[in-house]
Amino acid sequence: MLICLVVLAVQPAFAADDSLVPNDVKNYIGYGAIMLVLLLVLLAMVVLLRAFKALTKVLMTREEYAAMEAEQKAAKVKKPKAEVINKLLSLKPLSEEKSILIEHDFDGIQELDNPTPAWFMGLFYITIVFAVAYILGYHVLGIGQLQDQEYVTEMKIAAKEKEAYLAKAANRVDESTVTVSTDPAVLASGQAVFKASCMPCHGDKGQGVVGPNLTDDYWLHGGKIADVFKTIKYGVTAKGMPTWEKQLSPKQIADVASFIKSLHGTNPPGAKEPQGDKETDDATSSAAKTAMVVSK
Amino acid sequence: MQPEKFYYDNKIVRNFGIATIVWGIIGMTVGLLVAIQLYKPGANLGNQYTTFGRIRPLHTNAVIFAFVGNAIFMGVYYSLQRLLKARMFSDVLSKIHFWGWQLIIVSAVITLPLGFTTSHEYAELEWPIDIAITLIWVVFGVNMFGTIFKRRERHLYVAIWFYIATFVTIAVLHIVNSFELPISGLKSYYLFAGVQDALVQWWYGHNAVAFFLTTPYLGMMYYFLPKMANRPVYSYKLSILHFWALIFIYIWAGPHHLLYTTLPSWAQSLGVVFSIMLIAPSWGGMINGLLTLRGAWDKVRDDVVLKFMVVGLTAYGMATFEGPMLSLKQVNAIGHFTDWIVAHVHVGALGWNGFLTFAVLYWLIPRIYKTNLYSKKMAAFHFWIGTLGILFYAIPMYWAGFTQGLMLKEFTAEGMLKYPSFLETTMRILPMHVMRSVGGGLYLVGVIVMAYNLAKTMLQGSLVSNEAAEALPLEPVYVKQNTDIWHKVIERKPIRLMVLSLLVILIGTFIELMPTMTISSNVPTIASVKPYTPLELQGRDIYIREGCVNCHSQTVRPFRSETERYGDYSKAGEFVYDHPFLWGSKRTGPDLHREGGKYGNAWHYNHLMDPRLMSPGSIMPNYDWLISQELDTTTTAAKIDAMRKLGVPYAAGYAQKANGDLDKQAQGIAENLSKDHIKVKPNKEIVAIIAYLQRLGTDIKANKTANNNQ
Repeated sequence: MLICLVVLAVQPAFAADDSLVPNDVKNYIGYGAIMLVLLLVLLAMVVLLRAFKALTKVLMTREEYAAMEAEQKAAKVKKPKAEVINKLLSLKPLSEEKSILIEHDFDGIQELDNPTPAWFMGLFYITIVFAVAYILGYHVLGIGQLQDQEYVTEMKIAAKEKEAYLAKAANRVDESTVTVSTDPAVLASGQAVFKASCMPCHGDKGQGVVGPNLTDDYWLHGGKIADVFKTIKYGVTAKGMPTWEKQLSPKQIADVASFIKSLHGTNPPGAKEPQGDKETDDATSSAAKTAMVVSK
Repeated sequence: MQPEKFYYDNKIVRNFGIATIVWGIIGMTVGLLVAIQLYKPGANLGNQYTTFGRIRPLHTNAVIFAFVGNAIFMGVYYSLQRLLKARMFSDVLSKIHFWGWQLIIVSAVITLPLGFTTSHEYAELEWPIDIAITLIWVVFGVNMFGTIFKRRERHLYVAIWFYIATFVTIAVLHIVNSFELPISGLKSYYLFAGVQDALVQWWYGHNAVAFFLTTPYLGMMYYFLPKMANRPVYSYKLSILHFWALIFIYIWAGPHHLLYTTLPSWAQSLGVVFSIMLIAPSWGGMINGLLTLRGAWDKVRDDVVLKFMVVGLTAYGMATFEGPMLSLKQVNAIGHFTDWIVAHVHVGALGWNGFLTFAVLYWLIPRIYKTNLYSKKMAAFHFWIGTLGILFYAIPMYWAGFTQGLMLKEFTAEGMLKYPSFLETTMRILPMHVMRSVGGGLYLVGVIVMAYNLAKTMLQGSLVSNEAAEALPLEPVYVKQNTDIWHKVIERKPIRLMVLSLLVILIGTFIELMPTMTISSNVPTIASVKPYTPLELQGRDIYIREGCVNCHSQTVRPFRSETERYGDYSKAGEFVYDHPFLWGSKRTGPDLHREGGKYGNAWHYNHLMDPRLMSPGSIMPNYDWLISQELDTTTTAAKIDAMRKLGVPYAAGYAQKANGDLDKQAQGIAENLSKDHIKVKPNKEIVAIIAYLQRLGTDIKANKTANNNQ
């Protein structure tokens, strides 16, 4: 779990820099590399251990080696540290075990009459205190927020932050201020959004699949930039066009609307037949158009 | 007094042992298959019977009830006889128990892929099989208590307390979570709906973990570990404390599966605090086990059986610490519905249940065959590859869980979701899913090696079917001894012990379940929420049949990240006609509670036919059979009648008219689809499921005016 946390902390750094290699490919490489390094370290440790053992055997005479082994064994027997640990864990030394052995056995299994470890009881009591405090805090004293209040608080904070951000942000766009742009940067950004979100229904070239053709003169909900913006933003759920307000920023919606306008007249292969009303850029007010569509 | 001669029944132990191995391999292979489907949807072998939604329950049922279940019976039948100095009460009952249990498993293997499921997790089997389970469980109980009554050992050892608690609690859990109203031979509706049904299910689900995967294994640990290590149990006092604390506290913890849902907050909080209090009692078992190995650690280095035990106990300790942490609201908010939970349960399942089972098998098979293990090297290989398998499984899953959990909650400075497309987060974790299946594969290889090793062991020895033993009979008159109250009052009286355990687990059960079931203010109703139309009801049953709930939740939690992504958070009153509830426990795909009206019918049609048409890169399998299969409308009347019985307010006599309404609605959807050049007959299953999906979560919107310029 620790490793994961560390890696998680690193991940945003990964995602931040933009380069030619897509992020997921980078991730693949990253995961592979980490796994490989871990395995290599493991392998290296095993090899080193073996090598050291072999080396000592080669370098020492047989007697020396035997003496060393004996020494190591002797060292293992003495464990002065154990007593401190035993005390901390409230363990009785093994030598005194006989005195606490319960006489009876079950199929040869005996039980010791050790007390429950003090730290263990401490842990148990702490969790009980926590439980009482938790219930009091949330349900009697009302210190902690329950989920519905928590939600209200979360939304309030978010709204404040959003407002503060948008007040500073220059490119605050909505359906009344949006304009067609032919800036290549805007169109490229619009195209990226189109590919990710619109393509499944409107086709890769805007030729129309489930959704209508976006390249011809015919529009179901108005072809003016403001109408296109509005249709994307609020959707037309009854006809299957989702609401994008929550998924795309105003800037993204404006970009993709401009991109769609740029598709006009491209005549892609396999274009869907016209739907809606013929409309040229200088047609009558879009509101009237929409009303006409509804009345049909 | 003369010692009596008698024989232990080893054959039944051997049979359960073989069943454990066989079902283990089958269950884990299915697990590997579903794991692969999570990055290669085509691995569903192109047909509905082996598609994720249907065989994921097969995997969980096979490993829990077939692998672990048979292992429990193997361990209990071996240790019970020896701890009580008596042969099993009845060989006939033992045989009925064995073959009955295998038949139940076979019936699960047949019915689950066919789509017969109740949708309750780990309780998917339909009502006739539920009855069979109850009967076989009673056979097991009679056989166990019969043996206890004819015992030659006055005092009941701690292992047997755990076995008794397992028996009574599983009986209560299974029966209450099987309150179903049958509609046909293999279809039923749950008695409870919505929030109440969810509470019952997770009271059951959590305690299935407690009393099927934990308490019987603790009992086995208390017998086999001292035997393997040849050491006395560390502390009898600790045994008493952690046994009673564990069974009392465990039963309350279920609601932690329902944090931030519409379950009343007092119940959620009880789930949280009892989960926290569970740390110490759970660890009591681990400590008692690990400290039993004091003075025997040198053996652990050489003995692969003890190695398995140590890793198993450690995995138990980790899982039982992590569980309570995941129960804290703040942690749960991120971890729930993600792969973190999958990692958590597999640390428990692969480490604790798996490794303990392997240890017992390696220890017990050579003993009942009077021989040595065929190959110690192979067993050592199994240990290492198994451990590696657990690491390769768990680490990528934790990573995937954190990654996705945090991505789904991330916002941009503009106040938009950073990853509005759920699919983007899924794609990010696919490499981890690949690694997870590698881990699972390694673990399975280990099990297959074990199967070979043990088969060879069996072939080189010969089974001692009836192992001779002798012991003094119980003295007819009770001799007073100077022991404490636990000895005298409880641990010599099996029935008293059983009744006490029952009372202990019923306290939490009643306090948590009763108010939600009976006090109406716990489930506030909403006037605009209406029963499903007949077509939607049929569609819902297809949703259940296909196991959609295994990947899609239907409960939006009150978080900004969820209401922005899915829509308004769920209210208790919206689920009152949901028999059963379909909230789910994992979001491999997005939540669907507000799915209704989000996309057009044509979108759903294309998406179900091939999800990649509408969502490039999606890992959802194709459901093209819904397009070719016709909806069975002969069941409509029975379903409406059943719902009426359960309190859903359809008008009297509506059952007979229902199919008329069903046809009308289906016709409408088919016509709507034809506008998008999709030709489909209204009597196909896909029409019904589209109707259901378009209804989801829309009733509550009826009050609000749409702001769309339609």
